[in-house]
Amino acid sequence: MAPSPSSRVRLYLGTEKGTYVATTDLRRRKWNVTGPFQPGSAVFHIAPDPRTPGDVYALANSGFWGPGIFRSRDYGAKWSEVATPGFPPPGKRKAPKEFGKFPPEAIRALWHLEPGREDEPKTLFLGADPHRLYRSDDCGASWEENQGIAQHPTRPRWAPGGGGPCLHTILLDPERPSRMYVGLSAAGTFRTDDSGETWKPVNRGVVVNFLPETRPEVGQCVHHVALDPSDSTVAYRQDHNGIYLSEDSMEHWTRVGRPLSTDFGFVVATSPSLPGGAVFAPLSPPEVTRTMPGQRFQLYWFNRKKRNFRPMVRSSPFIGEFGNHREGLAIDRLDPAGIYYGSTGGQVIYTPDAGRSWSAIPFQFPKIHSVSVSVPGG
Amino acid sequence: MPTVRLDGMLRQFVSARSVQVDADDVSGLIDRIEETYPRLRYRLRDEAGMLRRFVRIFVNGEDVSLVPGLTTRLRAGDKVDILHSIQGG
Repeated sequence: MAPSPSSRVRLYLGTEKGTYVATTDLRRRKWNVTGPFQPGSAVFHIAPDPRTPGDVYALANSGFWGPGIFRSRDYGAKWSEVATPGFPPPGKRKAPKEFGKFPPEAIRALWHLEPGREDEPKTLFLGADPHRLYRSDDCGASWEENQGIAQHPTRPRWAPGGGGPCLHTILLDPERPSRMYVGLSAAGTFRTDDSGETWKPVNRGVVVNFLPETRPEVGQCVHHVALDPSDSTVAYRQDHNGIYLSEDSMEHWTRVGRPLSTDFGFVVATSPSLPGGAVFAPLSPPEVTRTMPGQRFQLYWFNRKKRNFRPMVRSSPFIGEFGNHREGLAIDRLDPAGIYYGSTGGQVIYTPDAGRSWSAIPFQFPKIHSVSVSVPGG
Repeated sequence: MPTVRLDGMLRQFVSARSVQVDADDVSGLIDRIEETYPRLRYRLRDEAGMLRRFVRIFVNGEDVSLVPGLTTRLRAGDKVDILHSIQGG
């Protein structure tokens, strides 16, 4: 289904102070901003559900009230809380029959929600701190923890990353129904080929510089991973220790970021609208400022065939410190592609024409954790 | 029976400013309040039963949030305040 001329492009921005929705038309020039929703909560990720246009999920982490999952059925106009793993939605929170029965460890934060496949219209996957993966088969009314991750034999060797012990990346293989991947900090990437029963560490070739062993089986601080939209055996990885490419379902990784002045960073994004590579936003090294080098906004296109990078912003007019979090980059499926970058300084910088021109949404947001884009039919 | 005063932030879950609760300790006191006001459940304590990070509980003016914490014993006539510390940024 192609977008109709009247389709709206919606950016869902998860910020330190709540959810914002920025809406525009297919030309992507003038924006209307609404929000904040879930005000005061740090929203780490927002997931529009492509299977049910209008359904959107936001992961809100409140310092006062704890984590919560909110759903909108109308593209982000109104929101209501659904169940969070460990506790039911607000209207069903009856006191337990026996007091004093609690699980051993609470969820500290919710990091990523991934809608399931087309043939599983009510399935959702959820990544959380501490190192947990959940599945819901009823649109978030109830959740079940994945025991393959919970009981993984390498779990004692997993450590928290800078953001805590989070499971932040969930990738469903579009060509193999029983295969999916997860990314955890600082544990690395794992693949299942049996729908989540068992998980294989897939980090070979990814170096770590913060452990005695530089090429361990697990312990890598993966920041984000994206699959190639035309070949799901190909994956692009932004790791704490560089930019990597895998062309064999993550069995082996090759560091390809060396030609850049720095290949540290958090984000990577791919889209069918930009075939043949991935977009990265390298930052100065972790021991320095973790912002874009030269105090100028810049993104890089990695061409998989040529194995090289090219800057996407010519003579960048955006000057200052630009940092980002791992969900802070999104690409739509339109032609020409729109690329949207949300900074920790609260700016949204974007191109509506695959990089030929760049603009900023004229709205100062709070610190941005995540950027998601949806276009009905697109 | 201890008297519990609730801060303004809790007003979205509990209509009353204060309630009287029959309980032997702070944990039991929160159990009883949650029983009466189910919407408060998981807001003061997480699902593992620990007080959330910014919840402060005072008994007769003394902060017992960390020590002795939820096992703090209560007596008839005690005044309990449930407050939230300021979250900055």
